[in-house]
Amino acid sequence: MELYEMTAAQLSEKLESKEISSCELTQAVIDRINSVDGKVKAYLTVNAEEAIEQAKAVDNKRISGEKLPKLAGIPIGIKDNISTKGIKTTCASKMLENYVPPFDATVIEKIKASDMVLLGKLNMDEFAMGSSTENSYFNVTHNPFDLDKVPGGSSGGSAAAVSAREAIVALGSDTGGSIRQPSANCGVVGLKPTYGSVSRYGLVAFASSLDQIGPIGKSVKDVAMVQDIICGRDKMDATSAVREYTSIADSLTGDVSGVKIGIPNEYFGEAIDDDVKTAVMNAVHELEKAGAKVCEISLPSAKYALPAYYIISSAEASSNLARFDGVRYGYRAKDYTDLVDMYEKTRSEGFGSEVKRRIMLGTFVLSSGYYDAYYKQAKLMQRKIAGEYKAAFNEVDVIATPTAPFTACKIGQNIDDPLKMYACDICTVTVNIAGLPAVSLPCGMDRSNMPVGLQLIGDSFCEDKILGAAYAYEKLIGGFAAPTL
Amino acid sequence: MDIDIRHIAKLSRLKISDDEFAKFENEMKGIVDMVNTLPQLGEDLAIDENNVMQLRQDIAETGKFTRDELFQNAPQVKAGCLVVPKTVE
Repeated sequence: MELYEMTAAQLSEKLESKEISSCELTQAVIDRINSVDGKVKAYLTVNAEEAIEQAKAVDNKRISGEKLPKLAGIPIGIKDNISTKGIKTTCASKMLENYVPPFDATVIEKIKASDMVLLGKLNMDEFAMGSSTENSYFNVTHNPFDLDKVPGGSSGGSAAAVSAREAIVALGSDTGGSIRQPSANCGVVGLKPTYGSVSRYGLVAFASSLDQIGPIGKSVKDVAMVQDIICGRDKMDATSAVREYTSIADSLTGDVSGVKIGIPNEYFGEAIDDDVKTAVMNAVHELEKAGAKVCEISLPSAKYALPAYYIISSAEASSNLARFDGVRYGYRAKDYTDLVDMYEKTRSEGFGSEVKRRIMLGTFVLSSGYYDAYYKQAKLMQRKIAGEYKAAFNEVDVIATPTAPFTACKIGQNIDDPLKMYACDICTVTVNIAGLPAVSLPCGMDRSNMPVGLQLIGDSFCEDKILGAAYAYEKLIGGFAAPTL
Repeated sequence: MDIDIRHIAKLSRLKISDDEFAKFENEMKGIVDMVNTLPQLGEDLAIDENNVMQLRQDIAETGKFTRDELFQNAPQVKAGCLVVPKTVE
């Protein structure tokens, strides 16, 4: 087995026992990027020289006998909307094509403090708006399981890089499914943590009340190990929760006996592909055979999550993206007559179509005369949905659903139909609306041999329960399939 | 439902060209129809007491960045200041 094919947990042991060095490992992953990224196109920036320097520094620390964190020396890829000091952070937008942050996001400070190696920055839908990574200003990323298909989005570069073994683990961000849906499409594990458990400081804001950074990995344990590093209270993010965290990775036992799994029938309707339903229910039955208790539950307002999500997220996006005005950073139009003309031309030339649609929807739902009918009602629906989940978690430990209604689409298939693209998110947006944690993990293939994702949703700050069940499933089936490239 | 795309674009500080207008209007109508499926719950939106934020003290931290670092991404800088078109006659 090549080094780049191994999990972070396996590599961590090899590094600790000095069987391999971080330099060897990092070079192996960079060689892998050089050999397959021409096909996959997951990276926007590869930080090769600095990555090797970081790896050398970690190796030196280890040689000198310093006690290092568990993931020290493991290379990680970062979604390009997470600020990295001195490394371009473009949000896959013309608006930020040349933007170099003068500071690190809190999660990057934590990654660096854990001596992990920053491989580079990963492609995404522009400003994280989209479900296919086709909205990137720079290039389309290809699904490693079928290069003619999309990787999903918006963290499509992160999921594709892990799937193609071009990164050992990666960070993504999830506002309506942007970690879980591409993880499902690319056959990897992706965690959207509880809102408030990971600092958003340095994440370029899309919808601040829904955005959450989270890990993507080849195994459940890898995802748990990265989550253990990035979680925690941060005074730079007022919405980060004030609480202590215990290690999730250490809590994984593989025992699922007595765990109560709820199946909400609202997530298995006619919009969901039959192969997806079958794969998800087969996975649930595996867990049941291993001792989990399965019951049906109801989340009646789930069907309203999509409109509520598009109202809330677009409203917040229209405010957050007002900062891109061509004055302090980013793109500025070349010719203009006055200040307003400069704003309008800068924004019209700098933003892509999907970003413009969301800004306009957000502006509309917040505009005079419409606020009560849209934004206020969406916030009320958000409370109602969160309440239904809360009640469900009095009965069950984990809720199992499909991650996405269908497997990866062909490149170009939905790009001209925003509503079809939005429908990709029907199974994931509810979780962001309710602020809950959820993991997507591979649970088999559909008829076209594309990976299907199982979503496990937990109560707030119960990442240990969902990752516990996910880990049990991974053990039961003996691991997840890799693509052939 | 009819929405005035030109007015919304103006509020959004975006220009929609004549070529794109029909397509944009059509797409926006579809999206607004989708969000219109949200029912009216007709309750009051009280502050959610389960989600109270802890704000940090508003104390300026100096020395974290130099002025040059903060201006390194600005499109136009002159004499240590951001340059914008004239706004007052």
